Amino acid sequence: MSNMAVAQDTKAVRIIAPPQFPAAWEDAEDERLTWLHDRMHNPDPVLPLENAFWSRVYEAFNRATEAYDMPVRLKTRCINTYFYMAAKTIVPPERMEAQKARADERMDAAMARLRSLWADEWLPEIRAHLAWWDAFDLTGAAAPELLAHLEETLERLVRLWDLHFRIVLPSYIAMSQLDDLYRDLFDGDGAFGSYRLLQGFDNKTLEANRALWDLSRRALASEEVRRVLERQPAGDVLAELGKTPAGRSFQADLDAYLGEYGLRGEKWGLRYPCWIEEPAAAIKNLKDYIMRSGPNPNSEMAKLAEERDGAVAAVRGRLQDYPGPVVERFEFLLKAAQEGVVLSEDHGFWIDFGATYRVRRVLLEFGRRLCEAGAIAQYSDVFYLTLDEVRALAAAPHGGDHRALVELRRREVDHFQAITPPPALGADNGLPPEDPMSRFFGKFFGAPPAAADAPDVLKGNPGSPGTARGPAKVVRSLSDAAKLQRGDVLVAETTAPSWTPLFATAAAIVTDAGGVLSHCAVVAREYGIPAVVGMGRATMTIRDGQIVEVDGDAGFVRICPA
Amino acid sequence: MTVAVASMHPSTAHFDWKRPAIGTPGQAVPRPGTRGRSIVWLGDLACEEYALVGGKAANLCRLAAEYPVPPGFCLTSIAFDRAGGLGVFEGEEPSAASLPRDLYEQLTHAYRTLGERCGVDAPSVAVRSSALDEDGAGASFAGQHETYLNVVGAQAVAEAVARCWASVRSSRALQYRRQHGFALDGFRIAVLIQQLVHADVSSVMFSANPVTGNRDEVMINASWGLGESIVGGTVTPDTYVVRKADMATVSRRIAEKRRMTVMATDGTCEVEVPRFLRMQPTLGQEQLMEMAQLGVALERRMGHPVDVECAYHAGKLFLLQCRPITTLTWSR
Repeated sequence: MSNMAVAQDTKAVRIIAPPQFPAAWEDAEDERLTWLHDRMHNPDPVLPLENAFWSRVYEAFNRATEAYDMPVRLKTRCINTYFYMAAKTIVPPERMEAQKARADERMDAAMARLRSLWADEWLPEIRAHLAWWDAFDLTGAAAPELLAHLEETLERLVRLWDLHFRIVLPSYIAMSQLDDLYRDLFDGDGAFGSYRLLQGFDNKTLEANRALWDLSRRALASEEVRRVLERQPAGDVLAELGKTPAGRSFQADLDAYLGEYGLRGEKWGLRYPCWIEEPAAAIKNLKDYIMRSGPNPNSEMAKLAEERDGAVAAVRGRLQDYPGPVVERFEFLLKAAQEGVVLSEDHGFWIDFGATYRVRRVLLEFGRRLCEAGAIAQYSDVFYLTLDEVRALAAAPHGGDHRALVELRRREVDHFQAITPPPALGADNGLPPEDPMSRFFGKFFGAPPAAADAPDVLKGNPGSPGTARGPAKVVRSLSDAAKLQRGDVLVAETTAPSWTPLFATAAAIVTDAGGVLSHCAVVAREYGIPAVVGMGRATMTIRDGQIVEVDGDAGFVRICPA
Repeated sequence: MTVAVASMHPSTAHFDWKRPAIGTPGQAVPRPGTRGRSIVWLGDLACEEYALVGGKAANLCRLAAEYPVPPGFCLTSIAFDRAGGLGVFEGEEPSAASLPRDLYEQLTHAYRTLGERCGVDAPSVAVRSSALDEDGAGASFAGQHETYLNVVGAQAVAEAVARCWASVRSSRALQYRRQHGFALDGFRIAVLIQQLVHADVSSVMFSANPVTGNRDEVMINASWGLGESIVGGTVTPDTYVVRKADMATVSRRIAEKRRMTVMATDGTCEVEVPRFLRMQPTLGQEQLMEMAQLGVALERRMGHPVDVECAYHAGKLFLLQCRPITTLTWSR
């Protein structure tokens, strides 16, 4: 997804929707906006209950931009089961400058105290919400209690996403502005000059992956456990482990690990089971890790931190005699961005996944009860219902058989799952305006891939420096990840944190969606492996087993002749 | 903004350049008692001597006791004569090695002393020519002789001095002399070596409005970094006009400042101003007042409208240059 352009009505050019993907607009304004598919977070169709979820999420985005006095708001629409959003400005052009100045001031105030806002205010509140969910007895609750719990769940969810955007906006904008400043000062330092100043900090994603490696060392301590992990497919490992005392002991270790870090699913949304529900994804990584010795490959941190400190010192040397305001701004943004880069991953651990999976658990309890009442065929069909349908059914579980309705909707979703949604709908409003906010959107979601000058080359955005060569493995979901072997190039539409333990196995990462500030790129840099992100059609063009060369600095992939 | 400069010819000056307290522009013979000194310090009485240090340095020296002028010293016209006068380095590349031995040692010693005054081992200095008939009643000589910025180390300073000396013979300088009716022979040059202010903001101030001719107003041009980008015209600076009577800001035009001069290894370079800073005002209200007050005080002290170069570093205002306004059009 690209060009989170704020619509400029004057030069809107209508985008013709493909016949298999018709789009109808509710009003003239909608038709003039640029609607973009957020393939990085929502590559798959969105189910009805997820639509209710995402709509609330982006209302929270708008409250955050309001709180920061930013002149931009997002509209969202579920079009043919895919989630689209459009940015629009809320102030007339003549007031834009003043509004942006106020926004800059607000944003600076948040950036100035990012770490203390997080540690002293936001995180304690987030943990209190999560604890509230954990304290509730879902299975034991009577129907009215459970319904009341649902309503409060939604309220708390909204509050958490309010916090989410309060956190991510200053975190990412700090990184983006540091990069803007760095480019202004040292043009020609490559794609990653500023990002080297942000590497080597620990975050919850890396922490979870290191703990998984540590777990693999415990597996190696037992010959029986090691053998099971070596020989059994990931899906059969648990059953085999249950057969021996050593195996059961390791299972307890695995459970403890999942209790701490297992609330991660393969993408953003409600319908993807987390690792606690489906531990195979974790076990796939354990199987890879036990084949390896040496230091924890999930931790390049010390080396990266040393490089970072050297790079920071070099910049300070270069800026030594620059005018004070330049040096002060650099130091201000460096501090904020170094705090922001950690929060850009940590917020996801607590909110995008930590909170979402607690909401999923609540909804699955409704699913269980509706299934037992015969309203739906299986627990997870609850996600095919709307929120009002869930409420109505929960109040009167025998009020209706919704199985046919669910089937109908499932068929619609399956139909569109097979269709690649157009990246943009509505109107093309030209290039985004030249301002810090648009630059941040561009770096997060990625610029549209440039046309390649050679038929065997695919272009994307530089994600992580370095070059690598290896057989490509196109992985569409984590259940597909077993084929990825050490030295392979991982080709995916997008990667969520649950994919990142695979970064220790892959030689390089290639994605269809995302920019240099995407989660994938940020984490790939922490693994020190090359990444090219936001390639658009990599998963559709590259075939399993093709040898590819990945150039993370230049941002392209070459498919080598067979 | 453009400062309307009518003509560079001396006869267009509209007010008289009051003679400085000691010596006169172009006076050939130093006063008794100063004879023989190759190096004098800003703030020394001898440094006010026109015949020793030239107009630029003499002006600055007179102000050094009262105003925040960065510390520095001069290689006098006597040093120039010792090195060979106008025939200096004839037919050879000017270099530190061609300085007379004792002069080189005196220079090294002075540079060390300057370091002590600045509190650093090897201070970064500006090395500027100060012609003996420069900054006199007519022309400013601005930019006619060499200036070296961010020179670090005694050897490099000696090198810069040698180049300054040699620059009096440059075809550009001689052409200027011919055009303005200055002597083509027998003139001399001094060299001012002064701590370089690592300017956050530099400005050029006129204690009379050079655009309108209004003597009740101070006009200030200010931009980021060292003053070279303003003086060289590569940046459009902010323009502030302040009324002397009540220090009210009459106008304030914030320009998009795209270029700035910053220190680089062995000199300076001009770079792009980062985007975030381009439209930010260079001077706050307090700084504007402080600067305007300095302009008013200097005009009073000098007895005529002045053209001032100054700079802020870490919130402190420094006076870098103060000259009579030699060419103004009062008609606009």
